[in-house]
Amino acid sequence: MNDITEKIAELDAEGLSLKSVSLWQITWRRLFRRKSAVVGMVILGILAFIALTAQWIAPYDPIQVLIGVEQVKMRQDPCIHLLGCPQDQPQHIMGIDGNVRDEFSRLLYGTRLSLMIGLSTVTSSIFIGTILGALSGYFGHWVDNTIMRVMDVLLAFPSLLLAIVIVTVLGPGLINALIAISIVSIPAYARVVRASVLSVREMDYVSATRAQGGNTFQILFKRILPNALTPLIVQGTLGIATAILDAAALSFLGLGAQPPMPEWGSMLGSERNQVFTAPHLVFYPGLAIMLIVLSFNLLGDGLRDALDPRLAHASG
Amino acid sequence: MKRSMFLLISLVVLTSMILAGCGPKATPTMAPATEVPTEPPPPPKVSIATYNDTSLSVPDCDYGGFFKSIVATDANTVTFTLCKSDAAFLSKIAFSPFAIYPKEWIEATAGTETRTSEGLEKPIGTGPYMVSEWKRGESVTFVKNPDYWGETPLAADTLVFRWSTESAARMLELQSGTIDGFDNVGPDDFATIEADPTLQLALRPALNVFYVGMTNTFAPFDNVKIRQAIAMGINRQRIVDTFSPVGSEAATYFTPCSIPNGCVGDPWYTFDAVAAKALLAEAGFPDGFSTKLYYRDVVRGYLPQVSNVAQDIQAQLLANLNINAEIVVMESGAFIEESGAGRLDGLYLLGWGADYPHVTNFLDYHFGKDVQQFGTTFPEIYDNLIAGGQIGIPADAESYYIAANNAIRELVPMVPIAHGGSAAAYRADVENPQASPLTSEVFAYSKPGDRNIFVWMQNAEPISMFCADETDGESLRACEQVMQSLYSYEVNGTATEPALAESCTPNADSTVWVCVLRQGVKFHDGSDFDATDVVATFNMGLNPGSPYHVGNTNLWEYYDYLWGLMWK
Repeated sequence: MNDITEKIAELDAEGLSLKSVSLWQITWRRLFRRKSAVVGMVILGILAFIALTAQWIAPYDPIQVLIGVEQVKMRQDPCIHLLGCPQDQPQHIMGIDGNVRDEFSRLLYGTRLSLMIGLSTVTSSIFIGTILGALSGYFGHWVDNTIMRVMDVLLAFPSLLLAIVIVTVLGPGLINALIAISIVSIPAYARVVRASVLSVREMDYVSATRAQGGNTFQILFKRILPNALTPLIVQGTLGIATAILDAAALSFLGLGAQPPMPEWGSMLGSERNQVFTAPHLVFYPGLAIMLIVLSFNLLGDGLRDALDPRLAHASG
Repeated sequence: MKRSMFLLISLVVLTSMILAGCGPKATPTMAPATEVPTEPPPPPKVSIATYNDTSLSVPDCDYGGFFKSIVATDANTVTFTLCKSDAAFLSKIAFSPFAIYPKEWIEATAGTETRTSEGLEKPIGTGPYMVSEWKRGESVTFVKNPDYWGETPLAADTLVFRWSTESAARMLELQSGTIDGFDNVGPDDFATIEADPTLQLALRPALNVFYVGMTNTFAPFDNVKIRQAIAMGINRQRIVDTFSPVGSEAATYFTPCSIPNGCVGDPWYTFDAVAAKALLAEAGFPDGFSTKLYYRDVVRGYLPQVSNVAQDIQAQLLANLNINAEIVVMESGAFIEESGAGRLDGLYLLGWGADYPHVTNFLDYHFGKDVQQFGTTFPEIYDNLIAGGQIGIPADAESYYIAANNAIRELVPMVPIAHGGSAAAYRADVENPQASPLTSEVFAYSKPGDRNIFVWMQNAEPISMFCADETDGESLRACEQVMQSLYSYEVNGTATEPALAESCTPNADSTVWVCVLRQGVKFHDGSDFDATDVVATFNMGLNPGSPYHVGNTNLWEYYDYLWGLMWK
């Protein structure tokens, strides 16, 4: 009995199974076998948990000014009771920021903002990028030329600079920063989708659907796109990291999230001159940005390996 | 065929690229759609002043400046005739750029483009110290003037100026005893100095104001009740306690109290969130409203942590008044232009530092009749300012400034928040430690314990010591040890007192000032001081046609800004 189970497990490891296993199941299994991807998922899981439960685990309101509420000073060092901070002092495990607010609570709420920023920008740019890429790849000729040249123009600018230009035109603010980041990341998705569509378009099953009289819509959205999805998922996961980083950079420059919003980039930016006098106010937001970007990058890398059929046998 | 076409096109592209690269820089990238005929450049300004040894005058007052004539009526009397009445005359004339030089020295050191190095580095004046040596990049040494006319019993024989840009470095020097005092104590060093029995702190009274402005031509700030609600609804003391350096104070008047007539009338509203909210409801906004909070991200003495202060005011407006203010950071130049023209539709954070210590420099520049900054101006305020501005003796003008300050409190064109202070630190045995509100410490009035040399450390090296043509505070302070004006500011204060003049008395409307000069005063070069030196000094500063109108920068900023150069 045991031998058989082991045998099946071995077969699974090869990606071949006696049972019929879907692509997604295989992907999941491959993904879980990659340590770095698991680390990424764990960090991400924790961050997602924090984001969902911020209002219950944060000890303070992120925008509450503690002057007159507690005996705390501006930019006070962290006070952790477990590490020997006197019990009669209020506990602030990441200290107090330049406006006498609890840094820890702000950081927790910032998780929510950062995840929302990453997911919303990537979702919207994937949506637009997919449509543009699909149209371009499927119809070819002048449609392809027009769309891809516009994408080339967008790609010709460094993405952050282009985002700054767009925000300058629209006016500073978180929503406008999200729009800007969405716009600058469209070309990457459009190119990926176009490349996939081009390769899938000539497949036999597409020709078969066409021969059966399927209309353009059916062919494009039911036959071609689902099979062109794999690279998009990888690109999207990595893209979230870039989007979060870009949003943090814009907020750092004062163009993104506006005070008193607890956005990591703006928290970092507003205290950047205090790096020597109050290092905790620069260290923790920086660490948080690093963690979230790292987790998405690790997961994205893992997904790429897991989804790439050429690497299927090398994985593990 | 095709190939030659291609060649031709690439040649054209290449040529145009080369042309674009090497072309003149002035090629406009965005030419206006229609060619505007360019106006001929205005003719260069020419001097309108006439000068001889005893008189400097202009034919009429159309040039826009203050002086009509400066005449040496006799060897010891100078009469200043002004184009408009100026109650601040003494406060301005006491300013160190207007110190008196000997006539012969002015002529001898004029140079061609700039003053000679003698003129820039070794000024001759009448002060308690004389320049002995300036080691560029290292120190300036002064020695006591043996012929000084005044009494300086405390003065050390030698005074040395040194400099360091880092407050931590200045602090270290003081702790190790290599200097006797330094300026601009760093925020982290206050506690250290207070705890150290060998050191002492001298707090510099604030001579500036930080305020929250609003333009009353935009709704809802056109409603005085809204403005009063904001005035009551901001906890100013909390802002000062949290964000301002030691020595700062919450503003109770627009003008700092170290200025005569600055703090007269009723003090500002006390913080009362409940009353403020009631006023807001009375004005028709029981649920508050949304607005914007503008500022420029520029550090000033009165506003050292501007973004934090802006966020605190934002939080206070929301908590106390339910006013939702969106923070807008503007580029400095645009911010000054927009706020000055009264075009900002929300609240804004701005401040003012004194050019000269007179109440007119604060009130007239903000609430005068033609000032657009806060929108419509109020006759209740500016009528009193006009009346008070014509009276030269502070005590006589007090009633007008009481009325003006009370009107400001009632009409709330803006909300004064704080006066920002700073501090100097000294060794504990220094007698009479100074921290002048005007940063014009005169070290002849301080004694460095039992040592015979006083070492002072400031932020930076003087640019030059020809201070008639300097604006930098570090240069002016060095000059003040050597040079004297007709009047001077009292030690550690802003009130004026006679210096080279024994008295300057105005006529009834403060348009003619007669100054009787001190007799028996000698310059450092041994020459006697008399009225022709005064006229020659003002001729040098004010008369662009004079061959002696040669300085360091040649901008003569303070002569131009406070009096007006004699040209048009």
